[in-house]
Amino acid sequence: MIAKKWRWSIYHIVAAGGAIVMIYPVIWLLMSSFKKSETIFTTSTQLIPAHWIWTNYSEGWQGIGGHTFGTYIYNTLVLVVLATIGAVLSSALVAFGFGRLNFRGKSFWFAIMMVTLMLPHDVTLVPQYILFSKIHWLNSIKPIVIPAYFGAPFFIFLMVQFIRTIPGELDEAATIDGCGKFRLFYRIILPLIIPAMATAAIFSFYWRWEDLMGPLLYLNKPSMYTVSMALKMYLDAETLSNWGAMFAMSIVSLLPVFAIFFFFQKHIVEGISTSGLK
Amino acid sequence: MGKKLSAAIALILATTLTACGSGGNNNNTNQAANTNANASTSANAGKTDTGENVTLRIAWWGSQPRHDYTLEVIKMYEAAHPNVKIEAEYANFDDYWKKLAPQAAASELPDIVQMDISYLSQYGSKGQLADLTPYLNNQINVADISENAISGGKVGDKLYGFNLGVNAVNFQYDPELLKKLGVDKPDDNWTWDDYFALASKAKEAGLYFDNGFRPEVFFGYYLRTKGQHLYNAEGTALGYEDDQLFVDFFKPLSQLVKDGDTPPPDVKAQIKGLEDDLLVKGQQVGIFQWTNQFVGIQQVANRPLEMAHMPGPDREKGLYLKPSMYFSVAQNSKHKESAADFINFFVNDVEANKLIKGDRGVPVSSKVIEAIKGTLEPAQQQVFDYVAWAQENSSQMDPPDPIGAAEIITLFASIAEQMDFQQISAEDAAKQFREEANAILAKNK
Amino acid sequence: MRAVFKKDLAGYAFISPFVVGFLVFTFIPILASLYLSFTDYDLFTTPSWVGFDNYNDLFTHDKKFWQSLKVTFLYVFIGVPLRLFFALMVAMLLNTASKAVGLYRTLFYLPSIIGGSVAVSIMWRNLYGDKGIINGLLEAVGLDAVRWFADPIAALWMLITLSAWQFGSSMLIFLAGLKNIPVSLYEAAGVDGANGIHRFFKITVPMLTPIILFNAIMQTIGAFMTFVPAYIISKGTGGPLDGTLLYSLYLFRQGFQFFDMGTASAMAWIMLIIVAILTTVLFLSSKYWVHYESKEG
Repeated sequence: MIAKKWRWSIYHIVAAGGAIVMIYPVIWLLMSSFKKSETIFTTSTQLIPAHWIWTNYSEGWQGIGGHTFGTYIYNTLVLVVLATIGAVLSSALVAFGFGRLNFRGKSFWFAIMMVTLMLPHDVTLVPQYILFSKIHWLNSIKPIVIPAYFGAPFFIFLMVQFIRTIPGELDEAATIDGCGKFRLFYRIILPLIIPAMATAAIFSFYWRWEDLMGPLLYLNKPSMYTVSMALKMYLDAETLSNWGAMFAMSIVSLLPVFAIFFFFQKHIVEGISTSGLK
Repeated sequence: MGKKLSAAIALILATTLTACGSGGNNNNTNQAANTNANASTSANAGKTDTGENVTLRIAWWGSQPRHDYTLEVIKMYEAAHPNVKIEAEYANFDDYWKKLAPQAAASELPDIVQMDISYLSQYGSKGQLADLTPYLNNQINVADISENAISGGKVGDKLYGFNLGVNAVNFQYDPELLKKLGVDKPDDNWTWDDYFALASKAKEAGLYFDNGFRPEVFFGYYLRTKGQHLYNAEGTALGYEDDQLFVDFFKPLSQLVKDGDTPPPDVKAQIKGLEDDLLVKGQQVGIFQWTNQFVGIQQVANRPLEMAHMPGPDREKGLYLKPSMYFSVAQNSKHKESAADFINFFVNDVEANKLIKGDRGVPVSSKVIEAIKGTLEPAQQQVFDYVAWAQENSSQMDPPDPIGAAEIITLFASIAEQMDFQQISAEDAAKQFREEANAILAKNK
Repeated sequence: MRAVFKKDLAGYAFISPFVVGFLVFTFIPILASLYLSFTDYDLFTTPSWVGFDNYNDLFTHDKKFWQSLKVTFLYVFIGVPLRLFFALMVAMLLNTASKAVGLYRTLFYLPSIIGGSVAVSIMWRNLYGDKGIINGLLEAVGLDAVRWFADPIAALWMLITLSAWQFGSSMLIFLAGLKNIPVSLYEAAGVDGANGIHRFFKITVPMLTPIILFNAIMQTIGAFMTFVPAYIISKGTGGPLDGTLLYSLYLFRQGFQFFDMGTASAMAWIMLIIVAILTTVLFLSSKYWVHYESKEG
């Protein structure tokens, strides 16, 4: 009993200690958002603000050129939610094909998929931009959202690996029961890879949320700008920057990501355990 | 969705061969293929703008204050021209150029684009920008603008950018800190020798003197005082023959770093923003930079700063007024006249310039300068006065940077860094710079 | 014969989103970049064919190209194992039934959410500043302070530790993998009286190998593409003395600052080949150490 208590204490000391080291920068960011813009760097080693001010939040929220920060959050949410739904669902479908089915050309297509991950985007960016310009998709969220519905290689590969940890006997049992391939996918595999899908959802949400290049290239109108673009508006290397507003809005923009993480991480843990099935 | 998709596939197959090749050559040729969904209504293409509805896209870089007042100026223009609608696109400097390059490659540039001197040749001579010469004295009134200011936007005989305002370089310093070195102000006619003598006292006083010189700007200035130029007139090679000039300029500078009179590169790398700049924190006497940067540093430092001239001799030969930035009109614009009209408004309208207040450099219109003088903050007033002085005491600018300048500027910064870290002698640096810079410029032959 | 065909049909039906998306959105740009790597292309004018000149110039004349390769290899081969190690250890730590674990998990993941933001840039530069915490610790244990921003190798360590610190995404994937291990396996082992370490190596590690493979491959690919951290440390200059000139940074510079998209494309394809070789090696080696429950594939 005593040994157990010791183990419990040590566990929490290690975990909490590690956690503090990990999140110190976030706390610093939070505290800095309550400091006056000019003093953020000169007092950067001093965590607690000498004078607490809220104006960074009110100023930052006003946004730029008549668009409040709420507009940017709304724009980003629309884009991110649409893209995430598409990426997670389509990737699960494709992953089942690669992970569970045998067909001619499978290795070929899998290799192609891996190759698309290995080529730096910078060199496909211009041809892709020209392509989207030819089909008149510029100045809309289409070039960002629609391709997400055709599977994201990172998530496909992730889910393939999870599907392959699922015992094959399950399929045989299901096939004997007369399950078609789609029902096998939908009824048996999908529930089992919920942890992987939750992980993919968290990543997709966060990556899209912070992505700058896509919105920067494809959204022209300030009324369509996203959070990642807006955060950079406060800063410019050549002139004055409003650090306070930038930090305050960084904190605000972390909240949705934080919420999504908190919500989905439960599903990573509480995903239906395979234990009952074997 | 399905229908759209198959249409998309068909289109792609049809354009497979041109998808990449069309990057450059379609400015004029395949306009038809480029009827752009978002540019505007196509009804008025090819006609003059009077009375008809026109939508213009305009893009610039900057930070929040510039975005805010530029949007105000746009509103003023729209109020005066109800048939014109202006769509703004703005970003910070780095992001701006990331976006502009693909837009140019796809012939999707906004009608009006803000241009920087180091990109003007690149975009201009590769067919992306329209020659503005035909619009002078038509849409753009240049009665109050000097010929010198206009020609700052010329590449060869084509006017690819309209100068929005000018800057000069000088020495911006804290008089209280300078006093610690036993001097009230640098002599009006100080020389490089005076500069080195003064700067080498900084360490003893527990200060840095300045934070170094941007190599391409200040070595360029130095060369001009010697009657030489950084680039030759054609932009095909370096413009100076004698590497001794390079050594004379950089050797003492790296000695200052070695002696601790100016900060080493790693100290500078730890500065996060204007707010913890060494000058602002009172650890550095002054800074050599462009006049338009004075307002910002003054505001952050929040104590009186002064401006002094560049060291000479032959300062007048070295000094020049540099266009701070330009507005250019895209070659793919279908409303070039309207775009030119907006540029006219931006440079000539007094009310608009009461908002702009020299943020894009000291205005080029003498009428505007006269009219807005009373509305300026003290620091802005100092800048205007300095530029007015420089106007009388400077020489004609070199042509805009040649193609490849961006690569040379990076190379130069890297070589200067090596000298400041004492990794390479000025003599070897001179040789290396000449070799590599000439290799880059040789591509322009 | 018909059965085989039907099997193919089912397979392609499932992977069709990827195949269609690839053909529509990615194939042409990829092909274009390959073509452009053999041309002189400044983005604005028609590319002109130059054969292998771009590749040749990179290999024979370009010192920065080799420097960026060196920096990137160091970054990948030190940074990725470190990051995976931390990720796995923390995932193990957090894979318990304690009530506070959800909170811990969030806290450990947070640094990865703030990613490449300005706040991280400022923090990291404070940490490694001349009078920063790291130098304070070094001096406390009797070592000399390091001028982190003056030495190319020291500066690279700033990047590597930053990457190790942001292990959140790998950690999350490991956690999900740990959750997928059937409890029955542990129960069976518990009956046999296996202790914790034994269970870790006999059950956890083998069952987790597909996920380890995934993380190793994806983190390696990701590390080769790394770009943002260089901005965090050096404002994009790659300094000091090109010590943090990551390959992607140099590639971006070639393409978008120097307007030499031909060279940038050549660099991209060189990288593709390097990464493809590494990935293939990992895949081939997986036959010997990765354990799949299902037999297919």
